[in-house]
Amino acid sequence: MAVCVAVIAKENYPLYIRSVPMENELKFHYMVHTSLDVVDEKVSAMGKALVDQRELYLGLLYPTEDYKVYGYVTNSKVKFVMVVDSSNTALRDNEIRSMFRKLHNSYTDVMCNPFYNPGDRIQSRAFDSMVTSMMIQVC
Amino acid sequence: MSVPDYMQCAEDHQTLLVVVQPVGVVSEENFFRIYKRICSVSQISVRDSQRVLYIRYRHHYPPENNEWGDFQTHRKVVGLVTITDCCSAKEWPQTFEKFHVQKELYGATLYDSRLFVFGLQGEIAEQPRTDVAFYPSYEDCQTVEKRVEDFIESLFIVLESKRLDRATDKSGDKIPLLCVPFEKKDFVGLDTDSRHYKKRCQGRMRKHVGDLCLQAGMLQDSLVHYHMSVELLRSVNDFLWLGAALEGLCSASVIYHYPGGTGGKTGARRFPGSSLAAEAANRHRPGAQEVLIDPGALTTNGINPDTSAEIGRAKNCLSPEDIIDKYKEAISYYGKYKNAGVIELEACVKAVRVLAVQRRSMEASEFLQNAVYINLRQLSEEEKIQRYSVLSELYELIGFRRKSAFFKRVAAMQCVAPSIPEPGWRACYKLLLETLPGYSLSLDPNDFNKGTHRGWAAVQMRLLHELVYASRRMGNPALSVRHLSFLLQTMLDFLSDQEKKDVTQSLESYTSKCPGTMELITLPDGLTLPPVPFTKLPIVRRVNLLNLPASLRPQKMKSLLAQNASTKSPFIYSPIIAHSRGEERSKKIDFQWVQGDVCEVQLMVYNPMPFELRVENMGLLVSGVEFESLPAALSLPAESGLYPVTLVGVPQTTGMITVNGYHTTVFGVFSDCLLDNLPGVKTGGSTVEVIPALPRLQIGTSLPRSAHSLQPPSGDEISTNVSVQLYNGETQQLVIKLENIGMEPLEKLEVTSKILTTKEKLYGDFLSWKLEETLAQFPLQPGKVATFTVNIKVKLEFSCQENVLQDLSDDGISVSGFPLCSPFRQVVRPRVESKPVNPPEGSKPGDSSHVKTLEAILNFKYSGGPGHVEGYYRNLSLGLHVEVEPSVFFTRVSTLPATSTRQCHLLLDVFNSTEHELIVSARSNEELILHASECQRMAIQVDKFNFESFPESPGEKGQFANSKQLEEERQEARGLEINSKLDIRWRIPSLQRTGEASVEGLLNQLILDHVQLAPLQWDVLVDGQPCDSEVAACRVGDPIRLEVRLTNRSPRSVGPFALTVVPFQDHQNGVHNYDLHGAISFVGSSTFYLDAVQPSGQAACLGALLFLYTGDFFLHIRFHEDSTSKELPQSWFCLPSVHVRALEAQA
Repeated sequence: MAVCVAVIAKENYPLYIRSVPMENELKFHYMVHTSLDVVDEKVSAMGKALVDQRELYLGLLYPTEDYKVYGYVTNSKVKFVMVVDSSNTALRDNEIRSMFRKLHNSYTDVMCNPFYNPGDRIQSRAFDSMVTSMMIQVC
Repeated sequence: MSVPDYMQCAEDHQTLLVVVQPVGVVSEENFFRIYKRICSVSQISVRDSQRVLYIRYRHHYPPENNEWGDFQTHRKVVGLVTITDCCSAKEWPQTFEKFHVQKELYGATLYDSRLFVFGLQGEIAEQPRTDVAFYPSYEDCQTVEKRVEDFIESLFIVLESKRLDRATDKSGDKIPLLCVPFEKKDFVGLDTDSRHYKKRCQGRMRKHVGDLCLQAGMLQDSLVHYHMSVELLRSVNDFLWLGAALEGLCSASVIYHYPGGTGGKTGARRFPGSSLAAEAANRHRPGAQEVLIDPGALTTNGINPDTSAEIGRAKNCLSPEDIIDKYKEAISYYGKYKNAGVIELEACVKAVRVLAVQRRSMEASEFLQNAVYINLRQLSEEEKIQRYSVLSELYELIGFRRKSAFFKRVAAMQCVAPSIPEPGWRACYKLLLETLPGYSLSLDPNDFNKGTHRGWAAVQMRLLHELVYASRRMGNPALSVRHLSFLLQTMLDFLSDQEKKDVTQSLESYTSKCPGTMELITLPDGLTLPPVPFTKLPIVRRVNLLNLPASLRPQKMKSLLAQNASTKSPFIYSPIIAHSRGEERSKKIDFQWVQGDVCEVQLMVYNPMPFELRVENMGLLVSGVEFESLPAALSLPAESGLYPVTLVGVPQTTGMITVNGYHTTVFGVFSDCLLDNLPGVKTGGSTVEVIPALPRLQIGTSLPRSAHSLQPPSGDEISTNVSVQLYNGETQQLVIKLENIGMEPLEKLEVTSKILTTKEKLYGDFLSWKLEETLAQFPLQPGKVATFTVNIKVKLEFSCQENVLQDLSDDGISVSGFPLCSPFRQVVRPRVESKPVNPPEGSKPGDSSHVKTLEAILNFKYSGGPGHVEGYYRNLSLGLHVEVEPSVFFTRVSTLPATSTRQCHLLLDVFNSTEHELIVSARSNEELILHASECQRMAIQVDKFNFESFPESPGEKGQFANSKQLEEERQEARGLEINSKLDIRWRIPSLQRTGEASVEGLLNQLILDHVQLAPLQWDVLVDGQPCDSEVAACRVGDPIRLEVRLTNRSPRSVGPFALTVVPFQDHQNGVHNYDLHGAISFVGSSTFYLDAVQPSGQAACLGALLFLYTGDFFLHIRFHEDSTSKELPQSWFCLPSVHVRALEAQA
């Protein structure tokens, strides 16, 4: 269902980015990169809210002609960005939410690995396969 | 209306549009000079009212946009200023005609117009005309501003009259329907009398009046009119105009809320007058209220006054939130009309600007998102570029720098779209550069040195590729080389192998035309591109300054060094000083380089590329000292591991030299890599002292070089090793050629030698030389050769001690000192025979035939030139490896008393351990020929030695050495004495080699005692003649006198002694006949007594014998065994045996 999944570090550089149509990877790079503007804006707006009331899910960042870009930010300001096909109307907000939660859990597992250096590219196979499962569900 | 004005902002609604245009031939420069001056008159306070008029100038305005002037009056061109050049009066009518033509273009909407004529003088110019102003030249036109102000005022009068005219239209009069160009045909045949239609007309007119009020500076009035218009139009569903009315409302509110302005550029332009504007606004408000308070002003409007507007005065102005809501609404209404795309787009842009001021980026982005999708008619490429640039600017405005960069990049790509016949690579490049901050990319490679690169590598790489391509197409190869090097340097970790190959290939092809330099590239717009050193091609991991090779290492004279150390600090140790020195040392290295000598720096490098990397012109970058760098070229294999590279250079002056980095040429790009900028480089200091030049010495020897290198314990390195094979006892001359291969004269030379510890005992001087002859040739000029001769003499043990002892103990005869009558006995006892009998003994010579080695180091300390003045010298070591093959062995040594008590025989068993025939000779010319591995006994008659006559070892020696050492020393001295007497030499005729043999090591105390002259000297005198080994003759029957004389040379008193004379006859068959009572009779007693003898005293006793028969008799003088004699060594009582031949009595 997702066509592109990206994990972006606190300093706004990609820790992980993968997209399904491999031939047009750069397009998704651009898409996710520009979506960071919106994420930044939303996060800074949210900064005023109390920490414990903060909603991690940012909702739709922006729609494009063919895709919808959703965002999610962890408390440590790590961002998850997901691009889904806008033709897929079956996807509800709730499903997107649960997908992000899955992604977050998997990311937490990656961080728990003592051999992983925070800030490095994520190369975990478990994480990769989880992302693959999220992408394959529809395709 | 098709050309959107992206620069529009809400404030533009209150401006009057004036077009300034040239007519005829006016140079662009002159036109814009005047245009600028005209533009400076952008706001005018109208006299005798507090209202302010804002003017918007355009030098280009499409007439079709003008057609929308009724819809929004700020789109209407109300003024025209024409600028023209006119040199002569003849041209004047023509010029004036052109002015009219120009006027026709905007004719319908123009309120007034002006013509500024430059250059015309004379009659025509003097006519006072309101619409034409004459100026003699572009320089001489001070009154332009004034004329423009007058012009604006005239515009204001028209505007004001129009406003009042519209506003005071009688309600009974038919209000004309205002409409936009595309509506015109829609209203054909519509019932003009219907209520609906009337309302529509009213609403539109209200809106129009609102616009005019806004332009005339009556903000509050306009708000009221807009509100009424919205009400009217909403009721008749006239959406397009409703949108316009809402937008007008928004604009007026924005002007009210944000006097600073919302448009970026226009705001900035107005900034100098902003205080004035704010003031004007403040002044304006009470005035506006006045208008509102006066209900008459409203009632005279003629249009049904909407009382709700008056009641909700506070509501008149929209709150900031409402502004956005109304904008949204307006835009949604505009969206219903395809032909109003431009209006919608512009409204979006205006709303975004407002939101940017309100800092509501999210909503602004929504407006922009909407704007992106507004589909205008087929846009020209130029318009597309403009549109994307504006979008990018707006995104920038709301702080979405990534989005902004994205659109800027799209705009850049649009500049060079394949459909454009003349791609604007320059513009494209410029736009691309502007996107850099959006992608967090700086073109300074230093920013990437800190840690690993973190960013959107894929996106950044794409951008860099585009920069490279654009700069190449721009025809600036230097620029593309710089960008490409930057790409390679900073994105190396992200490039795939294939990409690495491609990038380097294209880099090489670019650099073949324009090599990459280390210079700063400055772009025309002021941006500078710092140089990109290839610190990763290859990657340097470690930089080590290497000391000079040991033979060239300069050393400080000891005395000077001590002096230096003492002046540094009075303390032997102080932690403070040690600390500060430690820091100093971290940078400075404690060895020296020498001026004029090649110095080396070792780099550990590796190649990260998947192919062979050719690094050319790799050299050192240093400071502090003039340095001649000798660049190296290297070729690193693909993905090599750490690879040592040595860079060399020659310091030309003295001082402190600091190695700052290195330079390379890779793929045609020159790089200066400074060590400070390199991450992860280990360096053991980079500063070294360069001392003045010293000479260089090269050593050549007569001996072959040795593969065997010495391992001296002190850590000195030995430059040359020579080896020689010698037989034990042999002497060889070693000729050393000293050549000065440096540039300085060699002035000083000192030679020392050191024999490396060896278990072998060495006799005599191993190495000896005379330096004087060599020094006579000094100073040695560069290129000159001096010779130096060293004598090598090897004299090792010629036997082993145990062997000797063993032999001596079983050879009792020799020790006992029995008087053997054979005077010269040469026992021929070949070893072969004895070998099976005594295997351990036989194995010993075989064992000692093992080759022994001797090692020594010759140290040459030399100095000269300026370095010598500074107190430095150099040390050159020559290793000497001598293999000593055994020549002869003395397998045993023994002594035999000679016939004379003053002499003895030294018996040496000589063994030839060589494989050649060997001739041994002793002091006398007795020669003994020994075949290979043959052992023979050699007897040498020697005079006994009087060791006491040797001087005792000097007193100072005695102080240090204990008695045992003293004893050893004495023994050695004795050995030397004996050896020199013996002078045993050997010769190998087949090899033509000769040498000495030494018995020094063989002599033990026992033997020494034997060869020593006893301190008690016994003399036997027969018939008054001293008798020793000779036959004394006497006659039968004659008594002969026998005198025994004792001379005491020992330091103690001896005696008394009792001596008995025992005569016997030797039958020569081993039988001694002692029964001679009948043959010999004693005259007197046969026992003599000697009194105690004091040191150096003498004593004698006398007796007589009478031989009764003829024959050979021997007298054995025997001591009585009493206690005193026991204390003294046996050998002291060695009396000569007396051989008396009794002859027939003479007849």
